[in-house]
Amino acid sequence: MSGDRPTQPAGHDDRRAEGRKPAPAEAVLLEPRPLRPALLAGTRIGVRTFAEMALAMVPAYFAALLLEKLGVIDVLSDWAEPVMGVMGLPGSAALPLVLACLLNIYAAIGAMQALPLSGEQITVLAIVILISHNLIVEGAVVHKAGMNGIFFSLLRLAAGLTAGIVVNLLFGILS
Amino acid sequence: MSAVGSFLWEFLRGTWDLLWKMFVIIVPIMVILEVSEGRRWFRALARGWARLLRPLGLSEETATPTLVGFLFGLAYGGGVIVRDARRGTIGRRQVFLMSLFLSMVHAIVEDSLILIAVGASAVWVFGFRIVWAGIVTLLVGAAATALVRWHRKRRG
Repeated sequence: MSGDRPTQPAGHDDRRAEGRKPAPAEAVLLEPRPLRPALLAGTRIGVRTFAEMALAMVPAYFAALLLEKLGVIDVLSDWAEPVMGVMGLPGSAALPLVLACLLNIYAAIGAMQALPLSGEQITVLAIVILISHNLIVEGAVVHKAGMNGIFFSLLRLAAGLTAGIVVNLLFGILS
Repeated sequence: MSAVGSFLWEFLRGTWDLLWKMFVIIVPIMVILEVSEGRRWFRALARGWARLLRPLGLSEETATPTLVGFLFGLAYGGGVIVRDARRGTIGRRQVFLMSLFLSMVHAIVEDSLILIAVGASAVWVFGFRIVWAGIVTLLVGAAATALVRWHRKRRG
């Protein structure tokens, strides 16, 4: 990728920030501002940021919901079932994991409670889910922040599963 | 028709839930930041937090977004990253490292408590995840830095 060549047109905020020396801390960061302008500026920035994030997150949410309705969750849990054993989890734990990744933690907890899991298995699954959840919507958030959302979502999935394997091994050693 | 209708209805309801919650959190966060950034207590807090994260390669400019994301959630930390990128105070490398750290651990209170409530061990959920976030940030950060260096060198 040639995004970091200095000769590239500086179209993007992030890119311009990179070429420079670390920007001197802004004046606003060093001196407290009068309350009223600060309140106004904060509201303005808040609304603008909200709008920007919403524009990225709502389409991602639409995609996630569509995938769920198309039955992708069942297909993915079928795939994931055999893998669950490496984390010391039963195959049935694939469903809450896939629900967490595609939708969110709340969806996963609903499915988790229907399963007969031991305390240690709940902890392993909880750690995997806490690292790797809501990957589509939060991938859009990371993308908005200027990074590659797909890379970060896949990384979270890999790091979450690896964490599950590690925690399961640690439980085996410690017990 | 009714399948499409119920899908759209669920989408609209879900979008409403997502948006109003985000609005009532993100606007106050930005107002509080505008009022407090620059005040002595806030700078002390940011410095203290930055000192904890310095071993991961994160600079002091990343203190506010990482703290907001760590406490409240990725969307809010991401919002502050967007704000600071707009102001030009953070470079790409720092945004990458922040995204790594926040990808592994965010919304530490809310998300963790829900899972502890259904039976997960609090020590592991908090302790392991924070340590894991540190490890992943260090490893992937180092790998990415090496890759970028190698890439630049190869191109002269």
